[in-house]
Amino acid sequence: MIHIIIRMRHNRTNDEVHTMPTEIEVPYLDISDPAFSMHSEAVRRAREQHWYAKTNYGYAVLRHQYVSTLLKDPRLSQGSGKWPDHNGVHDGLFHSWWTKCLLVLEGEDHHRIRRMLNPAFSLRHIEAYIPQFEALAEELVAGFLDSGECEYVNDFAEPYATRVLCILTGIPESEWPTIARIAGTIGLALGITIKDELPEIEEALGELYGYAEGLIADRQANPRDDLVTRLVEANRDGDSLSDDELRNALCLLIFGGMDTTRNQLGLGMQTMMHNPEQWELLAAHPELARNAVEEVMRANPTTTWVTREAVVDFDYEDLHAPAGSTVHFFTQVSGNDPEAYPNPEIDITAERAPHYGFGGGMHHCLGHFVARLDMAIAMRVFSKHMTNIRVNGQDEWLPDSGNTGPVRLPLAFDKR
Amino acid sequence: MQISVDRAKCDNHGQCTFSAPTVFRLDDQGILQYEASVDDSLRADVEEAADVCPMQAIFITD
Repeated sequence: MIHIIIRMRHNRTNDEVHTMPTEIEVPYLDISDPAFSMHSEAVRRAREQHWYAKTNYGYAVLRHQYVSTLLKDPRLSQGSGKWPDHNGVHDGLFHSWWTKCLLVLEGEDHHRIRRMLNPAFSLRHIEAYIPQFEALAEELVAGFLDSGECEYVNDFAEPYATRVLCILTGIPESEWPTIARIAGTIGLALGITIKDELPEIEEALGELYGYAEGLIADRQANPRDDLVTRLVEANRDGDSLSDDELRNALCLLIFGGMDTTRNQLGLGMQTMMHNPEQWELLAAHPELARNAVEEVMRANPTTTWVTREAVVDFDYEDLHAPAGSTVHFFTQVSGNDPEAYPNPEIDITAERAPHYGFGGGMHHCLGHFVARLDMAIAMRVFSKHMTNIRVNGQDEWLPDSGNTGPVRLPLAFDKR
Repeated sequence: MQISVDRAKCDNHGQCTFSAPTVFRLDDQGILQYEASVDDSLRADVEEAADVCPMQAIFITD
């Protein structure tokens, strides 16, 4: 435990100022302990005790009100731009892509690109894909519905999440296994073994470059009514995206859109299996599907924390983080904060304070309307066809910190 | 044109400030401030801001 003594001005009476020492006990969380869990009693106790904790790797903001305010604070930058360098990767294809990615850009460099990408991902444009998302969900479900069982990740979540990206980008859906493999391999770059796995990562990224460059050249020659054409034609005040910027953005879309959606679909299924009465409510009221997505992302997000780095010395109330410090935002913990959510039980009809499962501020997830809509359709189609869904065999899960979700989730169900 | 922001929905992410920086800005506290009445020449930018708002909190009232 770390104890900070601060002196607070207190009780101004009779022109006399009393200064009372007030002790704030800042909790400590060992987040590199393999047994560390976001769902643990230790984390809940820390949230009750104070709004942030110290960790062995920076600070962790725990309460919803503080996550909401500080996640958007411009004194904190996205911070993962230096990830490859911190892990011994200083040049090469991956380094060059990563350090120019929207995800890690800041200031005007970020705003210019974000501005040109945003409209293609607006609700209006993404809603137009709903019939295709729905047909895809129905096709995948029809593949196992009569058998009464499925392996949720392999039979549904992974092909669904990947084929949605194919639909959006115009990559033939039949090539989804290649896209899934590429996205998974590039994902290895987020692990501490990045340097060892660099040749494999760069080969996959090179393959993805090939897809992206092909799509861009094709839409430049043959524009159509789709997302890639809208990106190619994006033009603001005479400025447009260069071919490299377009390629980098398409690669980020595929890299960032696949495993996050696959994992969140699995977590949504887990949450709904624990709340069968809510599942029946969804089946009876499919119009609640979009709210159901918000509710499972609040309570059980795949992105259990979001990380920022202090650009300058960062002071907020009793937190004094020197420039360069890491500040984590624990989204799963803040999404279950009883101060913001007095009745935290899953309720797909509830109107809630916003969750931060898509991050927040200028780096707010670009593809969130895609994720919101495709997951709502997946839940709607599943609840229409299936009831009494239960785990059927050995399930396997990623650790529950970082980006979590099921690796394997065998299910049995009754056909409705 | 007249603009209104549903403060109950707005979560101050600031995406609108990229689309229409002369209309929307975040103040020192990170709270959205905006011009409620702007020249019609800014309509395309404001429509884009409303379109891309993650919370869908921006409305053009005429």
